Amino acid sequence: MKETNLGRREFLKTLGVAGAGILAATSPWLSAFSEVNHTARDRCRIGIIGPGSRGQFLMGFLAQNPKADIVAIADIYQPSIDGALKIAPKAKVYKDYRRLLADPEVDGVIVATPLNTHYGIVMDAFDAGKHVYCEKTIGYTMEECFNMYNRHMSSGKLFFTGQQRLFDPRYIKVMDLVHRGTFGKISAVDAYWNRNGDWRREVPDPSLEKFINWRLYGDSSRGLMSELGCHQLQIGTWALGKLPDRVMGHGGITFWKDGREVHDNVHCIYGYDTGESLTYGSVISNKFYGLEEKIMGNLGTVEPESGKYYFEEVAPAPAFLQMVNSWENALFEEIPFAGTSWAPETANVNKGEFILGERPKTDGTSLLVDAFVEAVITGKQPERIAEEGYYASLLCLWGHKAIETGQMLVFPEEYKIDYAPYGTKKINPATDSPA
Amino acid sequence: MKDIVLTGRRQKKELWYLLGSFVIANLFNLGAILYYGSPMTEMFTSFFYVLLFTLFIYALTLIPRLLYNMLKKKAHTEVKN
Ligand SMILES: NC(=O)c1ccc[n+]([C@@H]2O[C@H](COP(=O)([O-])OP(=O)(O)OC[C@H]3O[C@@H](n4cnc5c(N)ncnc54)[C@H](O)[C@@H]3O)[C@@H](O)[C@H]2O)c1
Repeated sequence: MKETNLGRREFLKTLGVAGAGILAATSPWLSAFSEVNHTARDRCRIGIIGPGSRGQFLMGFLAQNPKADIVAIADIYQPSIDGALKIAPKAKVYKDYRRLLADPEVDGVIVATPLNTHYGIVMDAFDAGKHVYCEKTIGYTMEECFNMYNRHMSSGKLFFTGQQRLFDPRYIKVMDLVHRGTFGKISAVDAYWNRNGDWRREVPDPSLEKFINWRLYGDSSRGLMSELGCHQLQIGTWALGKLPDRVMGHGGITFWKDGREVHDNVHCIYGYDTGESLTYGSVISNKFYGLEEKIMGNLGTVEPESGKYYFEEVAPAPAFLQMVNSWENALFEEIPFAGTSWAPETANVNKGEFILGERPKTDGTSLLVDAFVEAVITGKQPERIAEEGYYASLLCLWGHKAIETGQMLVFPEEYKIDYAPYGTKKINPATDSPA
Repeated sequence: MKDIVLTGRRQKKELWYLLGSFVIANLFNLGAILYYGSPMTEMFTSFFYVLLFTLFIYALTLIPRLLYNMLKKKAHTEVKN
């Protein structure tokens, strides 16, 4: 994937605001950039654990950031090490991530290993006093995520998660509009990610199948829910401003019957006690509808992936065209939308508006990496970033569980954390008794 | 091939027809704006449609005039014969 590196200044300009302060209510994590001028001469030292496909992609942005030095990498697969050294030739190489964590020259780490390995690495990293950026989904189970979040809180170390849409100008701007009521009352968010491909990577030796194609196997991955759903479920809660309280789901292997263990087709419905719904679906044997999160309000719809929004009320066609259309209809006795009319149907088609006034340029990853660098330098955890990542991970793992059990599940109270934006409070087993 | 000669008088007359068509097209636009409750700015923003309609009306005026001229010419030659 190629991505434009949108500079911070251009980023704010794209948002159409003089400073990030204006968006503080919707996206307070932008405060990561608030000291960007003070830190102009500072640098931080980053270690990469698992510089595979994603890790190297992130390294590309670090390499362009004058405030970051990639001082070490740790991986157990030589081709990944070779690829990473092309980006950071001076980095120290470790085969065991624990040795990288023991390196006092590393301030923070990026963890981009397969899902099932995140927990051990991230917990060790906090224990070693390192700041952590962990790719999504953060944990393989809800319990792991909960423990990781708590360890972040108790260690006082930074915790970033790979939810790049938090830094995508399209989402930041549109969520501000959504929360201000521009699109009315949001009743549903319908998210989907469809592809037509087997999701496999080439394997140089059959013995490496599970190691390379870890996404396809149940003991290392939660399949489409953890790999794709995690991003889009976070958009749902961000837009609706609350957590769902129940989920049901279905999944199956319907097309790619090639020995994989994870579903190639999943659908989940997340319900809110206030009636709203958040749906997520992913099919990887049909790409027609691609990728989108439809945020549906009574006044309009947002499709952030395509960077557009649409109001329900479309400005009527010019009166002149309406008149011509009425003549035409009288002449041919046809209803307006059934005819081959040349006029109003084409004139008042709802083409929508670009959120940023132009086609999307970036998905936010470069800015997320830049924000991590800034935070490692200042040592300040930007508000809500860990919590958004935590709940995004929980939602996809919870949905996965609903698919696996075939039951409607209620959100487990014991995994709630103190997070005012979603109105959730951590249960203290000593003092609170679950309802 | 025979040359078509447009006299100055004829040109002036056609321009008057064109202007008349333009005024009628604008009146239609005004009527539509009032009828559909659209903003008056459409008197300008729909200019392109009005122009097209002007040509349409002008073309409509051409047909009876051409027919009339043809008949007139025919009657003239018959009288001559
Ligand atoms: N945010 C996003 O949009 C996004 C996109 C792609 C991937 N990801 C996430 O990034 C992570 C990695 O995905 P990927 O596609 O790069 O996978 P990958 O298989 O290409 O890379 C994983 C790397 O981790 C290494 N590794 C495995 N176990 C290790 C260990 N114990 N110690 C050190 N290194 C180890 C592997 O050798 C490999 O180099 C996953 O969590 C995935 O979900 C996020």
